[in-house]
Amino acid sequence: MPVPRTPYSGFLPTGFMLAVCFLLQGCPSPYEMRHENQWDSREQIGMAEASQVKLRAAQSRVFDTSDSRRILVAVVSTMQDLNFKVQVLDEELGVVSGKLLMSFERPYYPDLYYNLYDDQSLLLFSKNYRMWGPFWHRSDLVRLTVTVRKRNEKQSVVRASLQFYLQAVENPEPYQRFFQTIEKSLFLEGHPVQGPG
Amino acid sequence: MQPTEFFELTAESPANKAMQSRLFETGNEKELLSASAAVLQDLGFQVDDIVREVGMVRAVKERSAREHGQDISHFFVALFTLGYVGIPVDLQQKITAVLVARPTDYAGMRSEVRVTFYRVVWKGEGHFERNQIPPGEQRMEMIYDPVIYQQFFAKLSKAVFLEAHTL
Amino acid sequence: MRDGITIGKMLVLAGLLLMQGCAAPQPSPDLLAPTEAQTKLRSFQSRTFDVADRKVAMRGVIAALQDLGFIIERANEPLGLVTAARFAEPDNRSVVGVTVTVRPQADGRTMVRANAIFNNTPIDDPKVYQNFFATLARSLFINKEE
Repeated sequence: MPVPRTPYSGFLPTGFMLAVCFLLQGCPSPYEMRHENQWDSREQIGMAEASQVKLRAAQSRVFDTSDSRRILVAVVSTMQDLNFKVQVLDEELGVVSGKLLMSFERPYYPDLYYNLYDDQSLLLFSKNYRMWGPFWHRSDLVRLTVTVRKRNEKQSVVRASLQFYLQAVENPEPYQRFFQTIEKSLFLEGHPVQGPG
Repeated sequence: MQPTEFFELTAESPANKAMQSRLFETGNEKELLSASAAVLQDLGFQVDDIVREVGMVRAVKERSAREHGQDISHFFVALFTLGYVGIPVDLQQKITAVLVARPTDYAGMRSEVRVTFYRVVWKGEGHFERNQIPPGEQRMEMIYDPVIYQQFFAKLSKAVFLEAHTL
Repeated sequence: MRDGITIGKMLVLAGLLLMQGCAAPQPSPDLLAPTEAQTKLRSFQSRTFDVADRKVAMRGVIAALQDLGFIIERANEPLGLVTAARFAEPDNRSVVGVTVTVRPQADGRTMVRANAIFNNTPIDDPKVYQNFFATLARSLFINKEE
């Protein structure tokens, strides 16, 4: 015998849809969903030992030369080819660092401060209770730091660390390609770092 | 706090200094700075500025500041107000480390390394009834957790093959 | 006809008065000329120290600022410039900024000058600068002792 349909059964799916709509307002937006979630955001200040070891292996190579200038010149030229804005270059300390803006998000209001944003200045922060404008600047920012340290008389350790969309890049592929380019400029081969970091 | 107080040492100043500084039995400042940059890189930081003449290195990292707890609060507030109120949640943070190395004696046999960690956190967007709250509300936080400083100096000590003495 | 001219004059006058708001403000000739008050301010913003080396003085300034809980923003050694800021904890929306310049003098001593700003307003309370120089003296003196 078929179940009699009540006069209200048609409202159920509609009611459900309305409830879902209300609930969805409480859900994070797609942009927010792209941000890593955690219980305590202070965990990001340091770095877990396990992540460090993994990254170190992917990011470091040993080159059979102690000429850090030669390595730095090759690194800077590669960064220029990639359109990075090289901001830090210190030969004696063996550090090169640069940044690049890749626009993933298109802000829905015109944002004049996007490119003018001076993210170094602290004095800017207190001017407004809410800092308008370059909100997407941070997630669009790609940072690359390369350090060159002498391992011994004849070898140097080159380590490249990449930051992309608010995360440290752990995938070894971008680093492999980067080191391939450096190796070609130096006519040297880069070996992985063996032994304890 | 009044402006005059900002230029006075407080009761916490010596404790903060002890937490943030270590002494190394070396006058080789370049090695200390180079190793510091490498240690910061190891901790996920990106070098942002170097002023070698005064022994300063600044490193930053931008990360997500999203927290489960805030997402849950946001969800329940939206639920109980039937979608009228959407509280902005923490979304992004920029953690900065400013490090200064300097000699502590004229003989050039000892140096002090002092590092300060702080972060700035930005909130995402929200809404209140029909009004949209734009994203970008910010707050800053000086980091006074001794663990991060200990972690940093433990690594620095290993990188320069020297013991890190407390003040 | 006289009424017409009077109304006309009034309209022109009103127009001229209104136009005042449309003109861009002009800088006063004294904008770049420090006043006596500003010159007097400079005296307690500066102090000379018995330090011969600019680098040593700059390091002392940086150490003193760090002791006071400031975050070093910029440092330029050849120009003897240090910029630092700190958030007015616990009110983390107010910022105290300070610009310090270090200049070697002809007599072998070094002049240190500090400009402090609290949320875009310059601080002209001499006590603030006294406190800063006291901390700086301690920092330079400690350096000298060792």
